[in-house]
Amino acid sequence: MSIDELALILVRGLGQGAIYALIGMSFNVVVNSSGILNFANGALLILAGVLAYVLLPGSPDWLVWTLAAAGIAACLLFFVSLQGIVTLFPLKSSVEQHSWLVTTMAVSVILSAFIHLYGGSLAFRVPAILQPVSVFGLSTPAAYFLVIALAVFWFFVIRWFYQKTFTGLAMSAIAQDLDAAKAAGISVKKIQLSAFGISGLVLATTGFVGAPVINISADAGIGYLLSGFTALVIGGLGSNVGALAGGALVGVLSMFAAYRFGGIYQDTVTMGLLIAVLMFRPEGIFGLAAARKV
Amino acid sequence: MLEVKGLEAGYGRVPILRKINLVAPKGEVTLVLGPNGAGKSTLLRTLAGFNRPTAGSVAANGQDITGLAPEKMVDKGLRLVLDGHRVFPRLTVWENIRLGIRGNEAELETRLKDVYDVFPVLRQKLDHSASSLSGGQQQMLALAQAFVARPDILLVDEPSLGIAEMLIPTILDFLKRWASLGTAVLLVEQRIDIALKYADSVNVLRGGEIVLSGGDAAALSKDGAIERLYLGD
Amino acid sequence: MSQDLILANASGRQAVSPHRRIPMSAWLGILVTAASVFVPGALGNQYWTYTFTLVTLYVVVAIMQNILISEAGQMSFGQGAVFGIAAVTAAVLTGLHGQPFWLSAIAGVGAGLVLGALFAAPALRVQGYYLGFVTLSAALVFPQLLIALDNITGGVNGVPAYVMSLATPIYGSITPLSILTVVAAALALLFHAVLPRTPLGRKMIIVSNSPEAAQALGIHPGMIRSTAFLIAALGTAVAGVLYVPLVGFVGPTAFRVDFSIFFFFAVIVGGQGKLLGPIMGIWLLYLVPNVFLADFSHYRLLIYGVVALFVMLVFPDGVVGSLAKWIASRRSNVEKVTISLHDALRDDDTRPVETIGQRPLIEVRNARKSFGNAVALSGASLTVKEGSIHGLVGSNGSGKTSMLNTISGFMPLDSGKVELFGRDVTRLAPWRRTRLGLGRTFQTPRIFDRLSIWGNVQIGREGYKSAPGGNEIDKLDSQAAKWHRQDPSLLPHGQRRLLEILRVMQSDAQLILLDEPAGGLSPEERADLARLLVHFRDRLGKTILLVEHDLSMVWNVADEITVMETGVIAATGRPHEIKSDPKVRALFTGGGDA
Repeated sequence: MSIDELALILVRGLGQGAIYALIGMSFNVVVNSSGILNFANGALLILAGVLAYVLLPGSPDWLVWTLAAAGIAACLLFFVSLQGIVTLFPLKSSVEQHSWLVTTMAVSVILSAFIHLYGGSLAFRVPAILQPVSVFGLSTPAAYFLVIALAVFWFFVIRWFYQKTFTGLAMSAIAQDLDAAKAAGISVKKIQLSAFGISGLVLATTGFVGAPVINISADAGIGYLLSGFTALVIGGLGSNVGALAGGALVGVLSMFAAYRFGGIYQDTVTMGLLIAVLMFRPEGIFGLAAARKV
Repeated sequence: MLEVKGLEAGYGRVPILRKINLVAPKGEVTLVLGPNGAGKSTLLRTLAGFNRPTAGSVAANGQDITGLAPEKMVDKGLRLVLDGHRVFPRLTVWENIRLGIRGNEAELETRLKDVYDVFPVLRQKLDHSASSLSGGQQQMLALAQAFVARPDILLVDEPSLGIAEMLIPTILDFLKRWASLGTAVLLVEQRIDIALKYADSVNVLRGGEIVLSGGDAAALSKDGAIERLYLGD
Repeated sequence: MSQDLILANASGRQAVSPHRRIPMSAWLGILVTAASVFVPGALGNQYWTYTFTLVTLYVVVAIMQNILISEAGQMSFGQGAVFGIAAVTAAVLTGLHGQPFWLSAIAGVGAGLVLGALFAAPALRVQGYYLGFVTLSAALVFPQLLIALDNITGGVNGVPAYVMSLATPIYGSITPLSILTVVAAALALLFHAVLPRTPLGRKMIIVSNSPEAAQALGIHPGMIRSTAFLIAALGTAVAGVLYVPLVGFVGPTAFRVDFSIFFFFAVIVGGQGKLLGPIMGIWLLYLVPNVFLADFSHYRLLIYGVVALFVMLVFPDGVVGSLAKWIASRRSNVEKVTISLHDALRDDDTRPVETIGQRPLIEVRNARKSFGNAVALSGASLTVKEGSIHGLVGSNGSGKTSMLNTISGFMPLDSGKVELFGRDVTRLAPWRRTRLGLGRTFQTPRIFDRLSIWGNVQIGREGYKSAPGGNEIDKLDSQAAKWHRQDPSLLPHGQRRLLEILRVMQSDAQLILLDEPAGGLSPEERADLARLLVHFRDRLGKTILLVEHDLSMVWNVADEITVMETGVIAATGRPHEIKSDPKVRALFTGGGDA
């Protein structure tokens, strides 16, 4: 394998990895405040991509691009908040505390079905905003770099949010000690709902910015869901640093596997990684999650 | 004033509290003593809305607050300080206190002045993370967070637990002063020796029932009656 | 009286007893399923016979999924892949390699079992939604691999496979295949109906409910979970194999990840744990979009999702579950069952043991355990002598619960030794210690509402090596007959505690650990409990370690008391000796915390 090929794999792998990391961060913000893993995250990503396809003209200029971004962000913010209400609502009264698994999964299925109805199983092609960049002489879509920048951007924004806004502070408090937060009078349900909203914003921007390099098709949602989750497990559930590290690892390794063995094995490699980590080091590198319960 | 009538509560199917009657008047420190496993924490958690009572009623200043969620309880002027000097470890002292007042930052400065007078160490460590504080300092922080909320009724769960001996009088003294500002303070403690002298009235909880109600603290501290109640002699 | 006789004569194993009756709903399910296939079959309607045969195959899988979710408590999305691999294997062998179908079928079932066993491996280490993710990824990857390994599997094009002998109608449109399918469904339903009443079924329910309680009952949770996966794989693989002659063609698009999600949803929508749930779920989720709204069959997925979401929000118990609840709420004649202490305290019970033996049954030496900076045990030693009631008291954080967990095996030590019955058990797993003769109760009584009251007592015996001699439950009382029919969900806490203690009494445990048994008991119930403990010691010769907060109870019944404080032993001795010790008094009424 030549240096060029390695560089290519590295760049594209990190690019894909940034997408997984962003999915991981959107998991984290909800998991940290309510313990819920939103199974619809993959489908939501694809939804953002589809909206990008719908809204962007053939060769967009920056104004249109930004407006479209804002529009999609608002759309997903609304939708995911709605999903949050639907998911949190049964938890109040239901004996079954795992209803969220089914409700989020159901939303994932519904979203995929809508996308399927809209465009069949074919992939949508979204035009790029920037020209491809040359890496070691090989043409690489600019979206890969944009999405890496986006991951770094959201990492710092979320950190700022937790540290500098009252809602973020309250969300951080809930993650650290739920009872103490309740005793302090924090409206837990409202904060948990905000968390859903934020995760929607993260996914919206990821799906939009990364659209040229995301497989925007009805069936791809679950693949992204699992890659994002694997990235999170490797880095440690609940940690955004972990999401970045895990994303990078999963992105590069699966890109390497795709290159070496064929794209069809990409998900298989991710699955292998997931099983390996859960069997041998379920708490991940940075996280404190307890995946084992024997 | 807090009025509890015929309260019964437990966890899931396990009944812990039976027929609890209790009054915590404004401006006084009402003490609930009890040995381990008596149900003290269950009592406070039920009063503060963490647990739904299966029977009975709780009223704050005449208003029925039975079974409300903890967030709503705070709205109604009732605040619980949990046991184990619980604070938000990864937030700073300032951020911890800020959360107590739920966004109303203007008021915060004025209320904080009172806190700094009693607990100067908090001002010194304002931007240190709460996890760097000692147990006693964390307890002060937890109380400060509750104090800035200016509750009408304050419930405090075993503040002496896990705290260095010499800090305990400072903390209990603060509670007494807090009560004198007009707050009804319901203090739950296990240790008879330290709590008795700060209390205006004493109740003893054992096996989920009140076995001594509204006793005079001064009189009781003399004849060892409470010890006997604890050990079931 | 006659009922007592029947029980006394029973061998305690799978005797044919009137209490093993199969519920009406199972027969109803079989009837409905058979009718759905045979009625259109007899009338010669090929379309509906085919449709309902396929639906029935899916019902078999859903029943297996139901068992996995409700009995074994596993969030697995893997059934679609198991079905698929069985079908593909059978199709490839018959269609591509011309093997006789019976051989391909066996190979297909074998392949399904292998995959099922593979799912069992991560289930041993991860639980809950993590397992959901792992199995979901397998469900995603499976069709991809089918396409990738196309030289073996026929790839994207799939494999045609015809089995004329099975697919040829013998009457109307009824084929041998449709008969086989109905039989398979009937067997699956009956199996599910009978399972909770068998020792294996009981163990599955216990493991899914509380793995710790399982260990304390001598059950190895990992083994039971693996068995559950294998059983589910077997049933699903059989259905997968039968799919081949029915459809005559097997391709990767049939087994996509939606397929696995479909079965999961079907169980939830129908009502998990209910016998008729899978039938209702599959019929609703398959027939409605695929058949009745055939024009909108591409809305199929949308309908799955919407129905699942709707049901989860409005009928969280599923359609059948909610119906069952509604019916039950109309029935007001709930038979009142109480567990009476009186029966357990029969005087004609075994040999009285007068004196406290000298042999230590529990010997803990210098136990040390810390979790990071928090020290649980700091060089604590404890000896409990045979035939005694030994009290262990101390405040919260004193280490008494850690001590209990160390003895029962749930907390391995950093250093120190634990001996039970004279044997070094320091490294022994909890379930193995149980089998040595250790019994335990928990702070919250581990009573399983899905088992009958009788079942809850019976599991006390089933985890141990089979006990010789008669079943003592039989002697208990005439209530025992009712216990087979009643589940404990209506019992108040005090009775549940009693039930848990009865279970321990009925087991072979010579050494019993009680973890705060008096919590939540009324004063009268506590007095009864104290008398019961004395009865255990005097009449049944048991040795008891009692961890308790209720000091007056402990002082009344214990022969020896150990007081713990911050991970070490503060005092130990006879009750009257310690009671007057001012240091000990101070521990409970005042005195500093470290």
